Amino acid sequence: MTVLKVNGRPVEISNRGDRTLATALREDLGLIGVRVSCAEGECGSCTVLVDNKPMTSCLMLAQQAKGKEIVTIEGMANGDDLHPIQQAFIEEQGFQCGFCTPGLILSTKAFLAENPNPTADEVSVGMSGNICRCGAYPYIVKAVLKAAELMDETATA
Amino acid sequence: MGKQDKTLKVIGKGLHVKDAVEKVTGTIRYGVDYEVQNMAHGCIVRCPHAHARITNIDSSKAEALPGFIGILTHEDVPQNDWESAWFNYRGKVLDGIGRFVGDDMAAVAATTPEIARKAAELIEIEYELLPAVFNMEKARLPDAPQIRDEGNERDPYGVSWGNVPAGEAASDHTVECDIFYESQQYAPLGRNACIAEWTGDRVNVITSSQTPSELRDGIHEALGFPLSKIRVQALPSGSSFGQWWSNNFMMISVLLAKKIRKAVKIELTNEECMATVKRRHQERTRGSMGCNKDGELTFFKFDHLIDNGGYGFKDDVGFFCVDMWGKNGHGDYQIHGINTNMVTAGCMRGVGDCTLGASVERCADQLAEQVGIDPVDFRIKNQIVAGDELRMQHSRHNLKGEVDDYIKSVPEHLRKDWPELFKLSAGGTRALLETGSEAFNWKSRWKGWATPTHSEGSVRRGIGVGTGAHVCGVEFEGASNAMVRLNPDGSAKVHAAVGRQGAGAETTQAMVVAEELGLTLDQVEIETGDTDSCPWNHGSLASSTMYRTGWASREAARDVKNQLLAIAAHEFFDSVDPSELDVEDGEVVHGDPGKHNQRIPFSDVLNELRSDSLGQTSSITGSPRVPMPPSTTFARQFGAQFAEVEVDIETGQIKLLDFICVQDSGTVVNPQVLKNQVIGAAICGTGFAIYEHMIFDENTGALKNGNLLDYKLLRCADFPHTTKVIFVEDPDPVGPFGARGAGESPIAAGISAVAQAVYNATGVWVDMPMTPERVVTAIKAAHA
Repeated sequence: MTVLKVNGRPVEISNRGDRTLATALREDLGLIGVRVSCAEGECGSCTVLVDNKPMTSCLMLAQQAKGKEIVTIEGMANGDDLHPIQQAFIEEQGFQCGFCTPGLILSTKAFLAENPNPTADEVSVGMSGNICRCGAYPYIVKAVLKAAELMDETATA
Repeated sequence: MGKQDKTLKVIGKGLHVKDAVEKVTGTIRYGVDYEVQNMAHGCIVRCPHAHARITNIDSSKAEALPGFIGILTHEDVPQNDWESAWFNYRGKVLDGIGRFVGDDMAAVAATTPEIARKAAELIEIEYELLPAVFNMEKARLPDAPQIRDEGNERDPYGVSWGNVPAGEAASDHTVECDIFYESQQYAPLGRNACIAEWTGDRVNVITSSQTPSELRDGIHEALGFPLSKIRVQALPSGSSFGQWWSNNFMMISVLLAKKIRKAVKIELTNEECMATVKRRHQERTRGSMGCNKDGELTFFKFDHLIDNGGYGFKDDVGFFCVDMWGKNGHGDYQIHGINTNMVTAGCMRGVGDCTLGASVERCADQLAEQVGIDPVDFRIKNQIVAGDELRMQHSRHNLKGEVDDYIKSVPEHLRKDWPELFKLSAGGTRALLETGSEAFNWKSRWKGWATPTHSEGSVRRGIGVGTGAHVCGVEFEGASNAMVRLNPDGSAKVHAAVGRQGAGAETTQAMVVAEELGLTLDQVEIETGDTDSCPWNHGSLASSTMYRTGWASREAARDVKNQLLAIAAHEFFDSVDPSELDVEDGEVVHGDPGKHNQRIPFSDVLNELRSDSLGQTSSITGSPRVPMPPSTTFARQFGAQFAEVEVDIETGQIKLLDFICVQDSGTVVNPQVLKNQVIGAAICGTGFAIYEHMIFDENTGALKNGNLLDYKLLRCADFPHTTKVIFVEDPDPVGPFGARGAGESPIAAGISAVAQAVYNATGVWVDMPMTPERVVTAIKAAHA
């Protein structure tokens, strides 16, 4: 078995060399919040954080993640307490069908880590790696700005 | 229609959608996320040819594969036709003939998805090749290869009024058009899967669908099997826009599970979702339109073709731009549906109003330019307002009977509150255009037709306005029903089979019921997908959800309320007339607190019920008690959108700079949900206008860009994040609390706004999608 660290805990996945990280997370660990759509790294639905970097888990082999720290959408909330980014996506309704939402929230986490006080234009470019077919884009931009605000409040509180 | 509304407590509030936490925590489950114990995995064997008949199937190599379970072929399948809603599919589940590259030919089941896929590759099918046709014009010719028993083309759907030659004679200006529209792909984010599990002679089907009841109907037709033995549990879908209604792979799942006597799940790949299920039609408009010297339209004459692909059967189609521009006295529209050897085409968001609508808008713009009127004024002059006659009413050749027969069959006393039929009951574009042009500062930004607002180097900026209309649901396939149950603790549950596709129906339907029953949104839950508990519903299609299902949900809640008040009057209010009572904050109250100042919680009334004092049971269920008036005869939704674009005339690149959406959907039930939906439509429309199109191989009809890498969609930075939505709320006389339909007029409006803005920037009309290559080619041709 291969050991990864997922959402703060060590977990075991199978040793198979032919599986993507997305498949291992979904099937071995039941983390269905890892959404797979295009399976070719284009749409961003399957985005997870690997050592804090956003990665399309459909293009990464599970074995490449050995020893690395993975964060999926399931690792964002603390019990019933949502992460400020999640809270912001609810408040601004930065989604419609919700399929792209986990990937966008994880992209937001990585983006805000690099740029904690972005402009709307910067957010708009920063979120362009993830497709939202419903077209919630203007509300996604608002949600990311709101998240920056909420995280800033949390940090200074 | 009933008592008019007191102060609204729930309707009109931007409440968070009910499944918001599920969506942001990733716990919402779509079709692909479900499994049942001990299930097998299925994979569809697909046709490699455009048109071919199976002569032999050899499955021996697949059968030798460890993990192979079984195969379903056309020989196992009842040879019944089944139909999807609005004739988006008509055919047999498998009949041994492939009608497009990628068509369903057989299916295999195995212990894992990987083995199933391998087994599908090992099925050896011999084919007799048949002649194929990909071009809808060629498919109409008498000697064309015939794709269907019914022929490639049936009678056209037509609407005529007035006398077109008289209108032509009265014209000072006439324009003609011949415009071809490429196919847009739903390009779903989120694939679909279907699980079918038989228990004895009953089947349970778990899949993402916007039309749970229609799916159950389709299984019933395909299998020749009682509806009572079929349960559909429709799950949320990813982005759908008409793709996930009832689809043939769901029928295959049901039959494969029956054949192998085991639950089976078929999960489609992204490529299968794009290349083998459905798409928007390819379409072509030819026509002419005229006006007098004052810019008043004098006639319309349009002949429009739609390509149905292999299994689409849509001929009988109303496009509502006809109504919007139908103020003139003389018109003739003919719409022809034609089958080709390409993947099935069906309804995608704003069907017809995105294409024929864009043709009519372009012709109108060309007339306006000839007369020298700006596009906002030209629309105000020529588009209908409430009270004007609607055109798309009378001829419904594929459907049972005509709307007049339906109207006559409703007893007169039940029709007395209906609005005047065949006339627009509410709304229109005028207020949208006035409000929008002010917000956009149109009058000072407008520099004239084909005149850029800004010019620098190779960059030209231009502004444009577009309008769109659509229906608010249709009655012809059945009246959508909903049921409301009031529980012993005073909470309520709505049962309305509309699916969950991201448009917020699970929230807005519950809001309608909460308002009617005097409850909070939190006290009302909803079941949207289970056909075992929901009455028949047309589903989320044709912009019917808020209008027709919302009406049914409100009427069902009203029925619950009436029953509740009757019991409360008898048990708690000295047998006053129940009409003196009302509901408020979960309690029954007297309309005049001076007479009775009691407030009786619903749970107390329902606990009286438990004693069976009125021979009732412990909960109340409600259903609509009156027929809904036929809404195609009076209800429409409208959008007007304003755009500024920047075109690089050397590279052909188009950039969106500024956008405003103005929407008339009657009363807005949830502004947060609706704003999001309207902008989403504008983005999808802009995608259609500048990027999106399916590229088919000219020799095989196979889709060449069936993946998200090659099929380009707009991304976040491609659309102005500053886009605003403005509502003009003209309450509807029938819709719940005055609401109307919403999702489809805004996509049509956006397409035409962008097309006109590009024209004003460049002086050239470019056919859509206005890709850089097409823009440059069109500009060169104009200057040649």
